[in-house]
Amino acid sequence: MNWLLWRQHRSQVFVTVVATVLFAVAVLLTGVHMAHIYKSSLAACTANGTCNLVGNLFSGYGAIIDLVHLSIALPVVLGTFVGATLVAREREHATNVLVWTQTVTRRRWLYSKIAAVLAGTVIASAVVSALVTWWSNTPNALDGNRFEGAQFDTQNVLPIALAIFAVALGIAAGCILRRTLPALATTVGAYVGVRLLVSVYLRPHYLKPITRSFPLNGDVSVPSGSWTLKERLVDAAGKATNGRIPIPASCGPIPDKGGAEKCLGRLGFHQVVTYQPPSHYWPFQWIESGLFVGLAAVLITVAVVYTLRRDA
Amino acid sequence: MRTLAVETSDLGKRYGKVWALQNCSIEVPTGRVCGLVGANGAGKTTLLRMLAGLNRPTTGRALIAGREPADDPEFLREIGYLAQEVPLYRRWNAADHLALGAHMNPSWDAELTVDRLRSLGIPLDRPVESLSGGMRAQVALALALGKRPRLLLLDEPVAALDPLARHEFLASLAAAVADGGVTVLMSSHLLPDLERVCDHLVLIADARPVICGDIEHLLDTHKLLTAPTRDTTAIEREHHVITKTRTPREVSLTVELTGPVIDPAWRIDDLRLEEIVLAYLGQHAASARAVMEGVR
Repeated sequence: MNWLLWRQHRSQVFVTVVATVLFAVAVLLTGVHMAHIYKSSLAACTANGTCNLVGNLFSGYGAIIDLVHLSIALPVVLGTFVGATLVAREREHATNVLVWTQTVTRRRWLYSKIAAVLAGTVIASAVVSALVTWWSNTPNALDGNRFEGAQFDTQNVLPIALAIFAVALGIAAGCILRRTLPALATTVGAYVGVRLLVSVYLRPHYLKPITRSFPLNGDVSVPSGSWTLKERLVDAAGKATNGRIPIPASCGPIPDKGGAEKCLGRLGFHQVVTYQPPSHYWPFQWIESGLFVGLAAVLITVAVVYTLRRDA
Repeated sequence: MRTLAVETSDLGKRYGKVWALQNCSIEVPTGRVCGLVGANGAGKTTLLRMLAGLNRPTTGRALIAGREPADDPEFLREIGYLAQEVPLYRRWNAADHLALGAHMNPSWDAELTVDRLRSLGIPLDRPVESLSGGMRAQVALALALGKRPRLLLLDEPVAALDPLARHEFLASLAAAVADGGVTVLMSSHLLPDLERVCDHLVLIADARPVICGDIEHLLDTHKLLTAPTRDTTAIEREHHVITKTRTPREVSLTVELTGPVIDPAWRIDDLRLEEIVLAYLGQHAASARAVMEGVR
């Protein structure tokens, strides 16, 4: 069985290793350089007392930044090319019949294939995630928070869980649809759909967010790295406004914007901010990773039951 | 007691609402080369796939050398299966396929398979997709033979081949199974393909087996009886009349004899195998035409 696994997947292993090495070289070279720029700029501006680094610190690094952000697509690439083809291609060419009539059981064949592919997926996505996480140290320092989009999905443990999920999705689609192309399309569609649903509708609610009030004319100061979910302008009764408040006559003549805010503040209007603090980052990573690994387990079970119980 | 290589009882398979095979009870003794004949869609592939453990029966059961098909190495080692579409890994060469056989079968006969393909002039180092249909069928047959199964199940192995390749394939198959107690169950929708190499016949029409037996025995017991116009009730009571044709001058019967014909008025003639098959398929006109296509 090991011979068959290697014979069938050696080209995928080769492509993955080469692509990962090239990616690693690019990430390591630029990462070291960007860290250097960041540190020297920070030292310079601290000396001047005028630190505002967000500007164009990494202009000229657009290509590598895009490349690193593209690692968000790694799970779906693995899910289609490795997961969806795993069983669908055999069924499409009926080679499953050839293998299932050798002296290796269907069960063992399927378990070995799934185990090998998932092991490869974990290794590849862990290496890429480690590289991206290391490289992102400096850009993260400039960014607001790590809960959204490209950062949350490509750093630390979540990318590994997402890759496992995508490959399991591909395997299940291939086992059920039995044709490569429909399995590929289903994998992409379902992955993107689930991904969006989870990040938009579930992620903000893993843990109870913090809600704080701020005066109208003051700064909204949540801890650095927080994920702001909602900012509302509410009246004295705590009722949300639509942000356009008619100036009451009692305020008298209003000289400017600041004056209006002062008057509204006296009348009880204030800002309410709901956010996830940076300390929730790791719990969120583990919760979402657990969710996707759980979904993957369900999909693998479906694929196995479907393939072993049904006719060849 | 004779051991049976294949024994099925009331085997049936339904796909959705359609029965692909029904009431199939057949016996094939060990060591036979058994032809499985029927029109396309008659249920031959379904039967073979159930015997190979690929599909599960809806009703009844099958026994291969006394063992029910299962996802189990003890069963899998007994059977060699060649599917109709001759599935092979297209980009692999023949040597890769033999390596697959060697790695996935404990009883693999490496020498036999390599010698076999070499002697047939099949290049071991070219991708199988660049080989002819006949060569691919030989690679697949070598893979099925190499695990040294006790039962070889071949689904339309010659359907895709030209007449010369057909002849060569069947000759090489006959040679391969001549020594050693392997039983062969081989399907075809064309009777003439199988007549040359088979000593046993299973005929399937409309998802049911209509004949199952030794070919010699079929020829011995099936006769054409002819007589000037005559009452046939006595014959019909004694024997199994399959077809009856009346002309103004004479009546002729295709009969499966259960004993000697006592009435001397009947002339008894031998029947050829295809005539027997045709008689049985009388009520399945379309099947009959399909199966007889190519009979001289």
